[in-house]
Amino acid sequence: MKISYQQRIIATAIGMLLVVVLMVLALSFPRTDRTVKVMDLLFVLDITQSMDVKDVELDGEKVSRLAWAQAHAKDLLQTLPCGSHVGLAAFSESRSLVLMNPVEVCSSYNDLSQMLAKIDGSISWALSSELSKAVFGAIDQAKLMTPSPDIVFITDGHEAPPLHESLFPKYNRGLEDVSGVFVGVGGDELLPIPKHDLEGNEDGFWEQNDVLHEDVYASMSGESEEVRAARPRNQHLSSQKQTHLTSLAKRLSFDYLVSPDNVDTLLTTLEGKVKTRDQVINYNWAPWFSAVALLLLALIYFPFRFFRH
Amino acid sequence: MTFFGLQWGASAMMWLLPLMALPWLSHSQSKVVAWSQFVPDDPLSDATGFLLKLLASITIASLILALAKPYVPEKAIERVGNGAEVVILVDRSRSMDDPFSSRGKALAINRTVGKGDSKRRIAKKYLLEFVDKRPDDRFGFVLFSNKALDLLPLSYNKNSIRQTINASALGKGLSETNIAKAMITAAEMYGKETYSGSRTVLLVSDGGQEFSAENKQLITELYKRENLTLYWLYMRSTTGLRIDEESTDDSWAKTPEKKLHKFFKSLGVPYHVFEIESVKSFSEAIDTIDQQQKQPLIVEEIIPREDKSSPFFWMAMITMLLLAMAQFYTAWGVKKAHE
Repeated sequence: MKISYQQRIIATAIGMLLVVVLMVLALSFPRTDRTVKVMDLLFVLDITQSMDVKDVELDGEKVSRLAWAQAHAKDLLQTLPCGSHVGLAAFSESRSLVLMNPVEVCSSYNDLSQMLAKIDGSISWALSSELSKAVFGAIDQAKLMTPSPDIVFITDGHEAPPLHESLFPKYNRGLEDVSGVFVGVGGDELLPIPKHDLEGNEDGFWEQNDVLHEDVYASMSGESEEVRAARPRNQHLSSQKQTHLTSLAKRLSFDYLVSPDNVDTLLTTLEGKVKTRDQVINYNWAPWFSAVALLLLALIYFPFRFFRH
Repeated sequence: MTFFGLQWGASAMMWLLPLMALPWLSHSQSKVVAWSQFVPDDPLSDATGFLLKLLASITIASLILALAKPYVPEKAIERVGNGAEVVILVDRSRSMDDPFSSRGKALAINRTVGKGDSKRRIAKKYLLEFVDKRPDDRFGFVLFSNKALDLLPLSYNKNSIRQTINASALGKGLSETNIAKAMITAAEMYGKETYSGSRTVLLVSDGGQEFSAENKQLITELYKRENLTLYWLYMRSTTGLRIDEESTDDSWAKTPEKKLHKFFKSLGVPYHVFEIESVKSFSEAIDTIDQQQKQPLIVEEIIPREDKSSPFFWMAMITMLLLAMAQFYTAWGVKKAHE
């Protein structure tokens, strides 16, 4: 298409006027309400001693499961849209101790990330690791909060003392609207667990004779000697207990993610699983107007002659 | 990244900045003249051409910079306020699960986990009220069981402290508590901060503990050095006796509460004990502390992040307006010439 010099000048002038109009719009167009999906979560971090096993990788380095858990929880804090609320809890013994009820992630990011960094074995108040009971406790406490958050439980699934399948505790208080996701951490290989006393002093590794290898209640209730003898005595070693977490997740209709590589996997799973709320935000249209203006200007000044042969 | 002294939310947009060169490469506005020697030298026209290209470059750059989301990050400014810095220690021992009943009423035997008003719940309620009363205060929280952790370092964020206090009322108590460790942790939290005017430690517990000589010495040193004021809200059990009462009865003088009180008095720092025997006395204690702790102090205030894209939009609009006017003038001239 060939246009005359005069037409070209006029077309350019109109284009420029349009850019001016777009700029006026960018400066004066009212912000409009728009909704984004936000969620309320309670992060529960396993701080029992099996979490000190260094069998996971973070940025190419071998780190402890707890360090991995903290890093992933922090990533999630940064990724959640503003308006989401997050609370923090630590699991030790047989309970999830809530440290802070959910607060808004953006305005309280500083306090949340500082507190998250402090959640480690140094605050554990007992040496056992009764995961199922702690999960139930987390659900109970979530139900007491308004709005009740959903649960992100970061754990290696190690249950100590061990549970017999037949005596698996049941959650029969009704989940109400609490749902959740288990984030599994830890490798597949059974590894020794570093031992600390309650003061936090290191004391070698847990030995075979330091721990219980079977559910005492099951063995009391008349399990045959053969069954008991055939059971491996490896509870002093730890890996990510995938079977246990899968079955626990199934009973509670939670989701279970095995060592998710990145925070987006976790966020997608959460979005599909937990309650979301619509949060109204003030949407600014200015970038759209200026993007169109920029495109128009680029067209006006585009050096077409370089592309004509 | 910083540029022009601003932070940029979408700094990747800056990769578009080379588009500024477009007006200098484009010839879409020029007219092909058969023989350029015919065109006379015109310095004014050259200068105008240069200026128009410059304006166009500035417009493009301003637009790109506006799209790169410039902002001034949130920053803290200091002002003088009225209040105090308060570190809260709440006893999480099992006995705090006991119902809180007024003096004279029979002691309920069964513990009220999950229902009714336990001491922990009452403490929560009034602590929240205290926090809400004091907008200028900076609060910290020490979690303690048999260990102590500076769970919430001193923060101006009222939501964080409120939700930490709320969390402290959930679930059952812990079997062991160590008040001495918690008191040391609280003092150490202040050690990391600059002195801003008024420092308070608020201990809520329903029992006393005997401290070791070593701990006593350390606490005395720390509390003096850090210039702290100590408040003890003692939620005494119904069977308790007045803590300040001089009694000849030896068995009472030996109770841990009495010993702790004696030790606190000997600390050499401002110290007040409030014996909480009813909801009303809790509320009064909170009011008293509120009135006493209104010293001027330096308060940090957060100025929220501020969007700075509009100056760039204005710039783009003004330069574009000039350009458009020049272009319409050209169009008018060209039209005239054709006629």
